[in-house]
Amino acid sequence: MLNTLLPILLFAALGLALIGVLRRVSLWRNGRAAKVDLLGGLLAMPKRYMVDLHHVVARDKYIANTHVATAGGAVASIILAILVHGFGLHNRVLGYALLLMSAVMFVGAIFMYLRRRHPPSRLSKGPWMRLPKSLLAFSGSFFVVTLPVAGVLPANFGGWLLAIILGIGLLWGVCELFLGMTWGGPMKHAFAGALHLAWHRRPERFGGGRSTGLKPLDLTDRTAPLGVEKPKDFTWNQLLGFDACVQCGKCEAACPAFAAGQPLNPKKLIQDMVVGLAGGTDANFAGSPYPSLDGMGKPIGEHGGNPHQPIVNGLVDADTLWSCTTCRACVEECPMMIEHVDAIVDMRRHLTLEKGATPNKGAEVLENLIATDNPGGFAPGGRMNWAADLNLEVMSHKKTVDVLFWVGDGAFDMRNQRTLRAFVKVLKAARVDFAVLGLEERDSGDVARRLGDEATFQMLARRNIQTLAQYDFKRIVTCDPHSFHVLKNEYGAFEGHYVVQHHSTYLAELIADGALNVGQHKGTSVTYHDPCYLGRYNGEYQAPRDVLRALGIEVKEMVRSGFRSRCCGGGGGAPITDIPGKQRIPDMRMDDIRETGAELVAVGCPQCTAMLEGVVEPRPMIKDIAELVADALFEETAPAKPAAARREPAEAH
Amino acid sequence: MSDIIRRDPRAEWIARNRLHPLHAAMQPAQTRWMGPNGVLRKNVHGIGFIGPNGVKRIDRSGAQQGGAIKRSVSVDVQLPLHRIATPAFYIAVVPDMVGGRLSSHDRDLLGLAHGLAGNEGAVLAVIFGEHKETAFDTAGVDRLLILEGSAFSGYSPEQRVQGLRAVDNQFDPHHWLLPDSRNGGGELGRRFAASLGERPSTRVWQVAGEQCVGRAGAGTADLSRPVSRLILAQAECAEPVSETRHEALPVELSTAVARSLPRIEDLGAVAVDPALIPMSEAEFIFSGGNGVKDWPLFHRTAVALGATEGASRVAVDDGFMGRDRQVGASGTWVTARVYVAVGISGAIQHLQGIGACDKVVAINLDPTCDMIKRADLSVIGESAAILEALIEAVDTYRNGAKRDAA
Amino acid sequence: MDKSALHVISLVSVGAHPTSGRPRRAEQDARAVELGLQLAGDNLHVLHAGDAEEPALRGYLGMGVDELHVLAQPPGADALPGLADYIRESGVQLVLTGSQAETGEGSGMLPYLLAEKLGWPLVVGMAEVESMSNGTAQVLQALPRGQRRRLKVRLPFLATVDNSAPKPRQSAYGPAQRGLLDVEEIDVVIDEVFAGAELTPAKPRPKRLKVIKAKSGADRMKAATAKASGGGGQVLKGVTAQEGAAAILKLLVEEGVVR
Repeated sequence: MLNTLLPILLFAALGLALIGVLRRVSLWRNGRAAKVDLLGGLLAMPKRYMVDLHHVVARDKYIANTHVATAGGAVASIILAILVHGFGLHNRVLGYALLLMSAVMFVGAIFMYLRRRHPPSRLSKGPWMRLPKSLLAFSGSFFVVTLPVAGVLPANFGGWLLAIILGIGLLWGVCELFLGMTWGGPMKHAFAGALHLAWHRRPERFGGGRSTGLKPLDLTDRTAPLGVEKPKDFTWNQLLGFDACVQCGKCEAACPAFAAGQPLNPKKLIQDMVVGLAGGTDANFAGSPYPSLDGMGKPIGEHGGNPHQPIVNGLVDADTLWSCTTCRACVEECPMMIEHVDAIVDMRRHLTLEKGATPNKGAEVLENLIATDNPGGFAPGGRMNWAADLNLEVMSHKKTVDVLFWVGDGAFDMRNQRTLRAFVKVLKAARVDFAVLGLEERDSGDVARRLGDEATFQMLARRNIQTLAQYDFKRIVTCDPHSFHVLKNEYGAFEGHYVVQHHSTYLAELIADGALNVGQHKGTSVTYHDPCYLGRYNGEYQAPRDVLRALGIEVKEMVRSGFRSRCCGGGGGAPITDIPGKQRIPDMRMDDIRETGAELVAVGCPQCTAMLEGVVEPRPMIKDIAELVADALFEETAPAKPAAARREPAEAH
Repeated sequence: MSDIIRRDPRAEWIARNRLHPLHAAMQPAQTRWMGPNGVLRKNVHGIGFIGPNGVKRIDRSGAQQGGAIKRSVSVDVQLPLHRIATPAFYIAVVPDMVGGRLSSHDRDLLGLAHGLAGNEGAVLAVIFGEHKETAFDTAGVDRLLILEGSAFSGYSPEQRVQGLRAVDNQFDPHHWLLPDSRNGGGELGRRFAASLGERPSTRVWQVAGEQCVGRAGAGTADLSRPVSRLILAQAECAEPVSETRHEALPVELSTAVARSLPRIEDLGAVAVDPALIPMSEAEFIFSGGNGVKDWPLFHRTAVALGATEGASRVAVDDGFMGRDRQVGASGTWVTARVYVAVGISGAIQHLQGIGACDKVVAINLDPTCDMIKRADLSVIGESAAILEALIEAVDTYRNGAKRDAA
Repeated sequence: MDKSALHVISLVSVGAHPTSGRPRRAEQDARAVELGLQLAGDNLHVLHAGDAEEPALRGYLGMGVDELHVLAQPPGADALPGLADYIRESGVQLVLTGSQAETGEGSGMLPYLLAEKLGWPLVVGMAEVESMSNGTAQVLQALPRGQRRRLKVRLPFLATVDNSAPKPRQSAYGPAQRGLLDVEEIDVVIDEVFAGAELTPAKPRPKRLKVIKAKSGADRMKAATAKASGGGGQVLKGVTAQEGAAAILKLLVEEGVVR
């Protein structure tokens, strides 16, 4: 009985699944073209899946092992089941293999089920609560059905009742796995995820690489949309990427805006994009909603859309997009390696470039950047005022230099000027051959780009690159991780290739080379706050800590440090767009800092300094690494005096 | 004249010299005399003087000579009268008369006019409707022309231009001077210029010889040009008249002013809710910060005072006030004349934002905070109690004023 | 108000950023465009007399205006005759301008001369149009310190806007690039007077010193050494709330802000 039904069931499900594949692919193809190595990607996919993706998942051992068992068991079981039951290859060996695999899958599914008994709030409920049971039904049913094949039990064991029960179990399991895979069930993640890994928009991320720079818009192409208005304006592999989401909510747990009660939940955003690509409403979303100011969360089911309808104010509210600090915590955590930040900036680009709807101070800042090359609207001629008494060498005189010190817009900020002066003091003490661009420097374009104003970014970038091209230098060093990131990772697309270092990296090098004579830091216990644009964007976690160790500081690490560091709230133009939440991100970060009991927090970013110093006192002190080094510097004036003293008696003779 | 007590050796000598004709005048004020009933009266207050160290001294040497009297005379010194009997020409000034009085801007303009008039010409002030000013003479007005009539009351720029044209016909002034202000002068002057077909010098801040210098563009350039007949001058364009007294002789128009059909009708001032006035324009801002614990009380106080509300960044971040109410470098730069800061410690960004404020009042618990250093008046104490008391005091003040009016 | 029935022209010029001096859309002119967009929507006509090649003009197109009409003129030409002819022929009910140009002379005379030439009434510092009916408009005029005055004016009229008018919307890159510039060559009238004048960078104006009319040396010395008024405020410490409040109220009444 089952022997006749099972092949029909399997092949019918496979057929339907195949139709589902075609439908899903046609949905993705609504998106715009993208340059993707189709075949190479597919070939690289297994390695990406086994190695790169596993590295991310393995941060949680329990789920990693469970997933290996379940997913591995499922893939093997499906293939074997099609061979054994579909094609009727009642081979004993195959039978035992299928038994083993379905057993492995069963065990995995049990652990999956246990995790789901008290799911943390980040996990989506709904169909996802059903999935472990479906997997149990699938693996259990196939195990029992395969027992006769392996010869463990007689062929007609159990009679009708068992046959019916098994039939239901098989139907359930096969539907969930085969149909759910391509028609939009939870298992979709396996199918879309695999293809997403194959045709990822940033293949450089695999194999230990890093790709964090935003992709440029081609402004010369008048037909290309400026940013993303409708789901179809995403590239097809971005749409595919959204479909890969497993709704694990790791992004939600890491997102500073979500924690602050701002109306952003990266997981919901990606799911909204899935709704947009497939059409419909978000009524079926079973996770945490976007937070709202009343604490209840924005109601679910009121938003909907389709590939051809504008996203903002249909599917997603604009303030959701403007809440993002572009800290990349979500991208870092995502086991599917989905690019949330790219999607958000793409949609912001449309709002800024087409709608002129950058909220709050955004418009003013962008106007200032265009008219004065700095976001504050300060007179461009005042860019070097902070160094009026420092006798800095200027590139336009020097032309050739070892280190080009990129000052950044912190030059206009009185707090940051302290950091800059400290760093200059250190550079001078280390006798570094350095110079600044002076009045020729412009804003790097970071803020403009994160606010979606690609046009202004490209204008600033092109002019900066033009300026830099006139001079000869070995490397650029900057105290601002945002400038650092943009110069290093985003100017390349405009033919600006440089060796760029953050000042902490350079300081670490100087100290290691013995060029700097530093003493010990005195007093106070210290913690270190990783800036997003230095850490997650550029992988520099070690150098700042090395510098601090050289000063004799034992860093009291925060729970969230390194790649899990929580954003200060200052990135991505978030302080400019200023979307209200229940609390402020810097306040939360300051709580993290207070937890360590440290009296001083070392930072390496002007934004972090400004945001953390904005926290109401009493609070730990905030000092830039450059300031700490400058404070601990041995004064080198000492040898000059004895020399003078020696000369005097000589004159007396 | 100086209040410092100085010896006058010559006066002392006269006081001692009984033969000197001024001897009697130099005697100290009489301190004792026989009363009508034969009782000796003494004026104990008149004796002596306050010495340099603040101690009362009685000097019987004859050196004291009623210095106090001499000093008091010098206070209300009569400025010399600047009389123009028959003016060779006129310099016409149309002051703003904000609130019916000459503003400091008007006085500067009259000073400029006086300079242009020299000793031959007369400064003619043209005033519309009623006024409350009493000091036209010391402000430098030689001739005063008051254009009265209901047509000039309220906002009537077109009719006023007609009035000025009539004045122009009769007096043919060498120069017309108007304040380039938002209080009406800038508008009236330009309307008048357009009507006359004269090209005015605008935003003038200096008149030197035959050249005048005015701001041009967005205030980043200066335009120097020959002095034109019509000058719209900024505040502090010249020193106000201070050394002469003028006649302020009333003159009249010999012909009636043409009536123009009003195309713009004044429907009167609109009551503006202080809470809706944009922060950058508000005259009186009542601003709250981290130290404010009772926000409803804060709002009540702002309403009682009739002030526009402001806030520090922390208060906005904590959600007590809207972002548009934030004062400071990252919020709004305000220009209020009076700024009351409640529970604001005065971060540098905040102090930057109130840099243009005239008078700052601070209410704070911490007497060492930076806001206190900036404030003209600081009250140290719990803000809630002070605000309660302030509401009460304002009520009493207003009620008192009402009773006075009744 | 029926948006389709109302035809509005906003006059725009090329501005200069206050700190860098670079060309931009002029602040007040942008407000004139904003007010025009709010009043007339798509019926807004944006008009510029001057150099059509100036990229800053696109800033106005970026506000969502499809087309910008330019009466092409060389710098230094008098914009008045061309504008007056154009407006007279356009048959609009309302012309909006900024109060004062950000470049050149910036005398603020243009709207007055234009109104005189057209014979139209002029509303200075219009903040809001409340209603329009029967050939008249009821508008709010902005006075200093956020005060407002209600005026009734007959159509057609000219109005200047200053910083009390609605804040201009952001200029977006996409529409700015796509917008059309409709350039019309007109007769050039050279502004002779302005051509002879000389523009120099603004000299900072000295703060007026307190003039000391002292008759004696001691008085002059006293005035010169006296502490500048306002330096170091009065601090009331350890007073009751009532005393503190009374002191504050006294200052507020003296300053005339509590009436």
